[in-house]
Amino acid sequence: MGNFFKTTKCKIILFILALLVGVMIYAVSQGGYTISSIGVFNALISPFQHASNAISERVEHVLDMYSNAQSYYDENQTLKQEISDLHAQLADYEAAKEELAELQEFMGIKEENPDFALTSPFDVVGYVANDPYRTFIIDGGSEDGVSLYDPVMTAQGMVGMVTELGTETATVSTILSPDVYIAALSSKTREKGIVTGNISMLLDGCCKMEYLEKETGLQKDHVILTSGENGYFPRGCVIGFVQETGLEATGLSAYAKIRPAVDLANLTKVVVITDFSGKEGQHEKEQH
Amino acid sequence: MRRSSIKQEQRKYMLLQTVQWIVFGLLILAAFVLSTAGSHLKPLLLLSLALCISSHTGEIQATAVGMVCGFLTDIASGKLLGYNAVLFVVFCVAVSLLYNYILRQKMLNIVILTAVSVLIQGYLDYLFYYAIWGHEDVWLIYTNIILPASILTLLSSFCLYYPVKWIADKCGSRREQELEETRMSAYYDY
Repeated sequence: MGNFFKTTKCKIILFILALLVGVMIYAVSQGGYTISSIGVFNALISPFQHASNAISERVEHVLDMYSNAQSYYDENQTLKQEISDLHAQLADYEAAKEELAELQEFMGIKEENPDFALTSPFDVVGYVANDPYRTFIIDGGSEDGVSLYDPVMTAQGMVGMVTELGTETATVSTILSPDVYIAALSSKTREKGIVTGNISMLLDGCCKMEYLEKETGLQKDHVILTSGENGYFPRGCVIGFVQETGLEATGLSAYAKIRPAVDLANLTKVVVITDFSGKEGQHEKEQH
Repeated sequence: MRRSSIKQEQRKYMLLQTVQWIVFGLLILAAFVLSTAGSHLKPLLLLSLALCISSHTGEIQATAVGMVCGFLTDIASGKLLGYNAVLFVVFCVAVSLLYNYILRQKMLNIVILTAVSVLIQGYLDYLFYYAIWGHEDVWLIYTNIILPASILTLLSSFCLYYPVKWIADKCGSRREQELEETRMSAYYDY
């Protein structure tokens, strides 16, 4: 034991103790009593502290994971269920919001045209496969008050007309079909013509306005509206916008390429106009 | 002993046949759903599927498959009900007969037969639904709609042939052969 005080070990320990006392005195002189508050030591120790913290946290995390696995599992299941419920609620909310926006748009049609008798919006059940004219089927038929040749539209504009009618579904031919003819006029120049489908134009998603004067005043982006003259379509509904004009091959009249106001390839909901002012009168005239 | 083995084999064969037709039915249903989805250009999946199935079945089954797929195509493409059904039955029976009596079970054969069928179907479609009305530039519909759809249909037969063959081999044709072998062996034993 007596020899211990003479050994190097004892000297090292004493040296360390002295160092620690020195540290203590330095700490007191710096006004702080903990290591972290002393700038120099802090700078030296900080990386080790971080590393040590990280390791201890990791170990703690791993131990915690294994020791509390069951409670975490239960909690996870509960949270998953809650998330699933919230997602369902969110989906319902989004659907309701979308439906409300659509209904508001369709309400606009009624507000602008008080003479229109509109059905409730119908879903587009599906497009006819590989049909160049974008013919589609809606989930409303004669039982919903739809009749043959009733015009079909969205808030953006005219879509087409009902060409086949079932009790619960109806087939709608769009304005791209060469079998649909709409009496039309330009909102700006009041020039009149007939809008119908044209095969070379429908490949660009456009239709054709025929029988225009040779010196037509129509220009790009002029709005084309229904004129309501043939009695099948109401007056004043937007059909589309002029893309370009040209002379017919015969040279006797001009034509305009019309881009429909409605995106006919991506319809989801439409309304059918079951009655409008001018409809019956025109039919009576035709009968006479 | 031998008789019970035949019965067991028969039962197994019937069960596998049922499974095969359920799977074919589901494939047909999936093809119909895909045919009615969206407004873009699509292959006539039901035609290529019907032909692939017919190449692995007898004539009667081929008729039934052709009829079902044809009706579904009529519904999907808004055509006169029965128009495609008639065409499909003719194609399917022809394919079944050719495979049963003349052709070997190879993909190239079904691709050629699909090409012929789809060209005939496409041309008749063009003739009766578009050209007959004499609209201006009507040929554009053939070159821009019908022909690309036909090419897509042809490509789809590449994808459908092997799955259908696999199902048929697992459940139908090979089992039938095994059953026949068991029967023949029983006959010789007797």
